[in-house]
Amino acid sequence: MKNQLSRRDFIKLVGAAGGGLVLGVYLDACASDAPIPATVTPLSPTSTPHPPFDWAPNFYLKMDQDGILTIYAFRSEMGQGIRTAIAMLVAEELDIDWSSVRIEQSITDSKYGDQLTGGSVSISQCYMRTRLAGAAARHMLVQAAAGGWDVDPAGCKTEAGFVIHPDGQQKIFYGDLVESASTLDAPKEVNVKDASQFKIVGTSKGHWDAPQILSGKAIYGLDVRLPNMLFAVIARCPVFDGTLVDYDDRAAKVVPGVKQIVALDDRIAVVAENTWAAIQGRNALKVNWEGGGNTELSSEGFKNAALKYLTRSQPKENTLELFYKMPYEAHATMEPMNCTAYFHEGMCEVWAPTQSPQDVQRAVARIAKLSPDKVIVNVPLIGGGFGRRLQTDYAEEAVKVSMAIHAPVQVVWTRDDDLQHDFYQPMEIQQFRYPLDGDHIPSARMSGGHVVPTGAWRSVNNFPEAYGVQCFIDELALTRKRDPLDLRLELYKEDERALGVIKLVAEKSGWGSSLPDGSGRGLAYHATFGVTHVAYVAEVSVNEDGNVHVQRVVAAVDCGQVVNPDNVAAQIEGGIVFGLTATLKAEATLKDGRIQQSNFHDYPILQMNEMPLVEVYIIDSDKSPSGMGEMGVPPIAPAVANAVFAATGKRIRHIPIKPEDLRA
Amino acid sequence: MPAYDLQINGQAYTVQAEEQMPLLWVLRDLLGLTGTKFSCGMGLCGSCTVLIDGEPTRSCVTPVESVVGKAITTIEGLSPDISHPLQKSWIEEHVTQCGYCQPGQLMNAAALLQKNPHPSDADIDAALSDVLCRCGTYQRIRKAIHRAAEEM
Repeated sequence: MKNQLSRRDFIKLVGAAGGGLVLGVYLDACASDAPIPATVTPLSPTSTPHPPFDWAPNFYLKMDQDGILTIYAFRSEMGQGIRTAIAMLVAEELDIDWSSVRIEQSITDSKYGDQLTGGSVSISQCYMRTRLAGAAARHMLVQAAAGGWDVDPAGCKTEAGFVIHPDGQQKIFYGDLVESASTLDAPKEVNVKDASQFKIVGTSKGHWDAPQILSGKAIYGLDVRLPNMLFAVIARCPVFDGTLVDYDDRAAKVVPGVKQIVALDDRIAVVAENTWAAIQGRNALKVNWEGGGNTELSSEGFKNAALKYLTRSQPKENTLELFYKMPYEAHATMEPMNCTAYFHEGMCEVWAPTQSPQDVQRAVARIAKLSPDKVIVNVPLIGGGFGRRLQTDYAEEAVKVSMAIHAPVQVVWTRDDDLQHDFYQPMEIQQFRYPLDGDHIPSARMSGGHVVPTGAWRSVNNFPEAYGVQCFIDELALTRKRDPLDLRLELYKEDERALGVIKLVAEKSGWGSSLPDGSGRGLAYHATFGVTHVAYVAEVSVNEDGNVHVQRVVAAVDCGQVVNPDNVAAQIEGGIVFGLTATLKAEATLKDGRIQQSNFHDYPILQMNEMPLVEVYIIDSDKSPSGMGEMGVPPIAPAVANAVFAATGKRIRHIPIKPEDLRA
Repeated sequence: MPAYDLQINGQAYTVQAEEQMPLLWVLRDLLGLTGTKFSCGMGLCGSCTVLIDGEPTRSCVTPVESVVGKAITTIEGLSPDISHPLQKSWIEEHVTQCGYCQPGQLMNAAALLQKNPHPSDADIDAALSDVLCRCGTYQRIRKAIHRAAEEM
C-alpha cells in the first residue's frame, strides 16, 4: 500500500497492524483553515442554512451541528465521478449516512498536493488519504463522546452519524459532538477500515451532482456570472503558428452590444455586453493572417512522409509487416472551451473549467505578473474534459482580456474555435514487423505529423497502442490459422489479470457461437496505463452499403477494489461511445495548414441510434483500486475492426472505418 | 433596441434585445437562466433545447422575436423541485456523467413523452438521435425514458 501515498499527501504511513492500517497523520486541526468555497456556486437545493459552528478537523472536510458533513473535492469533475468517489471514501470512514453528505469543490491549493486530474489516477492517489481524513474525524468524534461518558473510547462504536456507548444502548449524534471535538487534537495515528467492513464504498451512488445538473442549477464554466461582467469571443489565426498582419474593426465596433476590440499578441478579442454580440462582432472583423510555410501542410502530406520514413529499410525475411493508420482526433467536449477572469487590485480570480488548476494558477500568475498566492482559481463543473482541459490556453486568454479591459470577462469559444484550435490526439502510422513464429506480444514503431498542436486525448497513447497491437494479434492468428481467443490466451499466459478479463469476456459474449450472415465478433484486450484490465467482444453487422452497426459490446473489467460500481459501468459505456466516434465516424484533417472541420456536421459524434447494447462485467477484486476514466476507450477500436473482418473478410487498417471501405 | 415580452416557465419577463438574438443568449446572458446550454450554435447538437408551446426547439437558432406570445419552458421550469418523472428516473438510472447535454436530453425526452407516453426504443432513437452526448449516456437515457413512462 506504500505506493498509495506520496510526501505531498500530508499523511505518513508508519506501519501496519491488525485488519486496519496504523498511520501517522499530519492533519491540520485549525478550523480557520477551512477552504473557501467557489464564490459563485449557489447552494445545493438540499443544503440547509449553515448553523453558526462548523468543525473542520482537516482540510478535506467540515461538519456542522446538524451533523451535515461537507467534503471538499480537490480534483476536477468532468463526468468521471471523482467528486462523488472522494466523498464516498471520506464518508465511509466516518460512518455517516450518505444523505448527510454534501460536496463542495476545494480551492486550488498545494496543501491538496497536485490537483491535476488526468491519467485516471485520482482514485489510486486519493484512496488512502481521503479515508484517513474521514477516519481521523471519526476518531475525534469518538474521543469527544467517550470523554463525556467517561468511558474507554476503544469500547465505542460508530454508526450512521452516531457514536454508540459501550453499553450498546446510549448514543450521541455527531452534530452534538462537533463543538467538543473541535477542542481536541487531531490523532497522530488512526486506523482505517478493512475493505470487508465497507458500507458505502462498493455500492452504487450515481453522481452526487445529478439533482443540480438535472434541474439546470449546476454551474459549469460557461454558467459563471459576475456583477458587471462582459463577454468576449476571440479571432485566432486559422493556420497553426501563423501570425496576425493587420485588421479592420470598423464594422465590428458598430455591432450593437460590442464594447471594445482588444488586440492581443497574435489574436483579437471582441468584447461585448453578451455572448451573441461578441460572436456577431467577431464575424464582422476583417483580419489578415499570414500562414507562412505552414499553409502547405496537410494530413495527406504527413501520412506520405511518415510512410516513407518507416519504409526506409526492408523487413527481414519471415516477417509479418503491417501498417495501421489513425488520424488527428479532436476532444469535442460538449461544453466548449471557456474561462472567466477578473483581474483587479493586485489579484486575479479565475473560474476555469480546468483539469489542472495549479497549472492555470501558474500560467495566470506569469501573465498577470502576480505571485501565485494572488491568483484564485475556482473550478466549476466541467462539461467534458477528455484531456483538453489539461491545457491552459483558454485561461491565459481570459486573463489577458480582463487585464486589458479592467473588468470581469468570460471568454467563450464557439464550436468552430473549439474544433480548430484543439490540442489533438496525434495522427499516427504504426508499423509492425514481427517474426512469423514470434511468441511475444507485438509492439509497433510509430510516426506522425508535426506543427499541429497535440496533447492528451482520453487514454492518450493507449488508444493507438491497443488499436495496432490488438488488430495485429488477430492478423497473426489468421496467418497461423489460430482462433483469436486462443492466441491471446497463449500470448498473455504470464498475466493473470489479463487472462481473467479475456476469459470472462469470452464466456459472457458467447465467443465461438454462430451469428447471422453479415455479422461478426471481434475481441480485444488492453491494460490502460498498465493498471486497469479491460477486454471487449464487439458484435457488428455490416450492410450492403458498407455501414457498420455495432450491435453489442460485452465488457470485462478488472480495476481492483471498486468504489462506485455503476459508475465503473458508466465509464465503460462512455469509453466505448468515445472510442466508437473515432473508430467509425470522426477525424480531424489538416489541409492548407488548418483543421478543416468546424462543427458536428463534419465532426460527427456517435448518436443515440448508433449506441450498441453494452454489458459490463466487473471482476471482484481486493487489489488496489486503479482508474476508470480513460480505460474504456482503447480496446473498442480493435474489437470493432476485428469484428468487421469477421463479418466481411475485409481487413481495414485505418480508422475511421467508412462505408466506402466496405462497399462490395 | 426593441423590447420583448416573454412567458418563460409561467413567468412574465421583458427583455431588450436585438431582433435576431437567439433565445439561447436571451435566456443565458440577459435573464441569467443558464440551465439551457450552449454547445454548437447551429442547431446540430440539441444541448440548447427548450419547449416552445410544447415543441422541442433549438434555442440557439431561434430568434427572440419569433417566440413572443408563446409558452417557453426551460430546464428550470421542468419541475419546481426535481419531481418530474424524467428527472427522477434520470437519477435512478445514474444517467449523468459530465451532465452538460442533459438539460437538452431531458427537454427532448419530456416532449417525446408528452406526445407518446409509451415510446419504443425506435421511437426514442427517432426523437433523440440528434441530441448529442460525448460522454455516452445513451443507453441509460433509453432506460430512464422507459422507467419514467411506466411511472407517468
